[in-house]
Amino acid sequence: MSNQGDVLVLDDEPIVCERLTEHLQKNDFSVEAFTESSKAIERLAERTFDVVVTDLKMKGPTGLEILHYVRDHALGTQVIIITGYASIDSMREAEYGGVFEFVPKPFRMERLTSLVKKATRKARKEKR
Amino acid sequence: MSLLTRILRRLTPHDHSAVIRERLESFKALLRGNNRILELMAEAGEMLGGEYVFDTQYLRSLAADLEKAMHEVVYNLQIITGEHHAELLNKVQTIAAEIRAAIDSRLVVPKADLVIPLDRVNLDMAEVVGDKMARLGEVRERLGCRVPDGFVVSAYACRQFLESAGIDPTTAENPPETLRELRRRVENAELPKELTREIRKGLKELERKGGISTLAVRSSALGEDGQTSFAGLYETVLGVAPEDALAAYKQVVASLYSDHVVVYRRRCGLPPTQGLMPVGFLKMIPAHAGGVAYSLDPARPESDIVLVSASRGLGKTVVEGTAPVDTFELSRQPPYSVVERRIADKETAYTSGPQGGLRQTPIPHSERRSPAITDQQLAEVAAATLMIERYMKRAQDIEWALDREGRLHIVQVRPLAIPESEPPGGRMLREAASRYPVLLAGQGVVACRGIGYGRVHVVDDRSPADPPPQAVLVARTPTPRLAASLAEASAVITDIGTATGHLAAIAREMRVPAIVDVGDATRLLEEGQEVTVDAEENVVYRGKVDELLRFHLTQRFSFEERLEYRLLRSLLHRIAPLHLVEPESPAFTATNCSTYHDIIRFAHEVAVRELITGSWLRAPRTGSAIRRLLLDIPIDLVLIDLGDGLWETQDPRKAQVENVRCAPLRALLEGLLSEGAWATDPADMDPNGFMASATRGGALTRPLAARPEQNLAILSLEYLHLNLKLGYHFNIIDCYLADERNHNYIYFRFAGGVTEITRRSRRAVVLRKILESFDFITEGTGDLVIGRIKKISRNEMVDRLRMIGRLIGFTRQLDILLRDDALVEHSVKRFLKQVYDETAGKSAWGKR
Repeated sequence: MSNQGDVLVLDDEPIVCERLTEHLQKNDFSVEAFTESSKAIERLAERTFDVVVTDLKMKGPTGLEILHYVRDHALGTQVIIITGYASIDSMREAEYGGVFEFVPKPFRMERLTSLVKKATRKARKEKR
Repeated sequence: MSLLTRILRRLTPHDHSAVIRERLESFKALLRGNNRILELMAEAGEMLGGEYVFDTQYLRSLAADLEKAMHEVVYNLQIITGEHHAELLNKVQTIAAEIRAAIDSRLVVPKADLVIPLDRVNLDMAEVVGDKMARLGEVRERLGCRVPDGFVVSAYACRQFLESAGIDPTTAENPPETLRELRRRVENAELPKELTREIRKGLKELERKGGISTLAVRSSALGEDGQTSFAGLYETVLGVAPEDALAAYKQVVASLYSDHVVVYRRRCGLPPTQGLMPVGFLKMIPAHAGGVAYSLDPARPESDIVLVSASRGLGKTVVEGTAPVDTFELSRQPPYSVVERRIADKETAYTSGPQGGLRQTPIPHSERRSPAITDQQLAEVAAATLMIERYMKRAQDIEWALDREGRLHIVQVRPLAIPESEPPGGRMLREAASRYPVLLAGQGVVACRGIGYGRVHVVDDRSPADPPPQAVLVARTPTPRLAASLAEASAVITDIGTATGHLAAIAREMRVPAIVDVGDATRLLEEGQEVTVDAEENVVYRGKVDELLRFHLTQRFSFEERLEYRLLRSLLHRIAPLHLVEPESPAFTATNCSTYHDIIRFAHEVAVRELITGSWLRAPRTGSAIRRLLLDIPIDLVLIDLGDGLWETQDPRKAQVENVRCAPLRALLEGLLSEGAWATDPADMDPNGFMASATRGGALTRPLAARPEQNLAILSLEYLHLNLKLGYHFNIIDCYLADERNHNYIYFRFAGGVTEITRRSRRAVVLRKILESFDFITEGTGDLVIGRIKKISRNEMVDRLRMIGRLIGFTRQLDILLRDDALVEHSVKRFLKQVYDETAGKSAWGKR
């Protein structure tokens, strides 16, 4: 089996990055993880990913800003937002911005992995 | 507007119901708070299983939700009883403040004794005694390893000491003083008087237990050897004479601020000077030989060997690597034969001097090239190392010592750090695993992650009480008996069950990989079959999948050692344990509540007592809304109609069954009045006929009649609150039944009883089993049973209320009949059969 997809994980809590990286790698995804959103944006400018999994509230650019950045700069890349604070407004805005899925924290890892799989399929189709 | 408010609004103003309204509403709010807390606790327990990703934010909202619900419980208790429960309120505030402080400072300092003897220490106490000592205590107490006597000076004591020395251990950033200054302060500070006294007491106790020559004073920092390995960075002082123990303590604590520790902490992204140091004091073993054992070769984890290094005298030489030592490779399979040996030319040995301190003594020429340890002793070291590995479920790094009589002592236990290499991706593992037949995949729910290997042992009524060790336990339901066997198991699988259930909680506590709700594991897996349970990917393979097992043993650190998990575990310790067990006991007081769970149990009990005995219930015994229900069975039931609960009755004082409109009461009466539900012949209960003697036993075995004026139903069209006192049992049923399933719920509570406690507890077991087989979530202690179910459809509600009607008849005499544990299962089956016969083909649970 080859690389299942290129994933960027962004969350200011290291534990979320570590556990997601661990689990996604075990499922044959190639993962880069960031705890600072500005660094993640720098990386997004350098290369393309199939999927971005990002926290919503962070110091610096928020998950919604990441979403907009990806929409404007990275064709096909799908964004999954994970958050402990899912306000209706932010969900609506994310929906409007074309988020692939909004996942409240805490979440089951298997659920996220299957979402990442689906998002990768969609991303690869759109890039073609 | 709450449901009850809506019901109560319909009351006619002249009913004497103002008091009832207020108290019932408060009782319901108390139940809501109570249920919310139990749910949050169950959910938090589920997080510990590793299936979920959560962060500090989750911990904060958990703490806030709990605190809010706790206040709701205490506030409503005040309304129900009309008393001010200041003490309870204080306790809630204290616990809440501690929890918040722990999350904020990321520093967990549970209040504990200053000095704790090693024989009271186990793994659950890691936050109190540090990881190193917690593990030593665990292998000593629960695995029976020989570990030197000793005691631990707790993290709590360390905080007191540091604060008395003017150091704030929670200062995280930019220490105001140089490290040298901090160290100087620690070393020069006076220990608090009480701490000095306690340490001296600990020493005296060790003296009493076979004397001390010298001590090993060991660092046991929080987080040491965990996520980040501080191995060897903190101070350990060997060969300490008892009179120098206090100075050695300060020396070890001061190593919190040593230059290389702070550099290392910075590099790991940790606050450089934040932290506490629990310290272990262990008797020194006058070692003939000592060394280290690795349960795997970290450089070649795939080779099936145990690595042992040994030196003459103390193991210090091995640990420090300052001189050549013997090294051995042993097979990981019994009889643990030596496959490779390298005997060094050993010139000197460390021994502890009689007056303290260490000495380096020359080894006589003739002995320098002989092995420090015999093959038989090596096998013993390997066996102990592997036993600890199996128990800890990770590769281990053990420090050992042989005394002059050749007895093996374990002096340190920690997870083996495997150097980071390319992570063996899922592909490689899956390819390896794909060579094995899959027995189960994707069925059920993972309740605790991990990999386990062993032979299948099916646990049912007929199986012997003690399963073989290292078995994969497979069972139909998560019984208490199964839970009791978990400690020795390598994995557990059940057909039925939930990830929030009791068994799942115990599995997580013991870190036993667990998959529940599989459906037909008992059918698909065979007794004695060798299987590998992959509770990471939810697959069961036939045979031993070495690659998976090894991968699991060598994971660099597992999720449960991360700070968030440690924090959550320690928060749960403050929240979940239940100490107030017997409501009848004089210890059942507000003062003795020490956790949230204690407080809600206490509040619940006090509220229920008030509800059953309170004068507020007697007030409205006359009035337009009060009727007595005419029944053929001896239950004197008084009905208080809050509105639309009854059709018009001819007699203003009496109601017939046909007059009942209240939907839940109708369903319940259907069950209660169905054939055979009330007048059960006790002899029926006995599978073998030996109960015949019991039925001749006299008054106690006669069906217990209800006393007049004891039974009360408060009703409306959709709502029922039923308060029964049958014989000596107290039974409360509180429920709501309508078309909108989200509002539906049943709350069932049963307690009290005339027989001795063992029979009552058997009855509790029967009730819980019956309720659980109807999907109730149950809890209880001793003879108390509480069952809850909610958000089910109208039909499902009706089915369950009928069942409860039957159950009321059935339980009247259960405790008298349950002479024997064997009758427990029989009673459950008999009841379920009755329900089945009654309803076969009629309703959804006819299928059962």
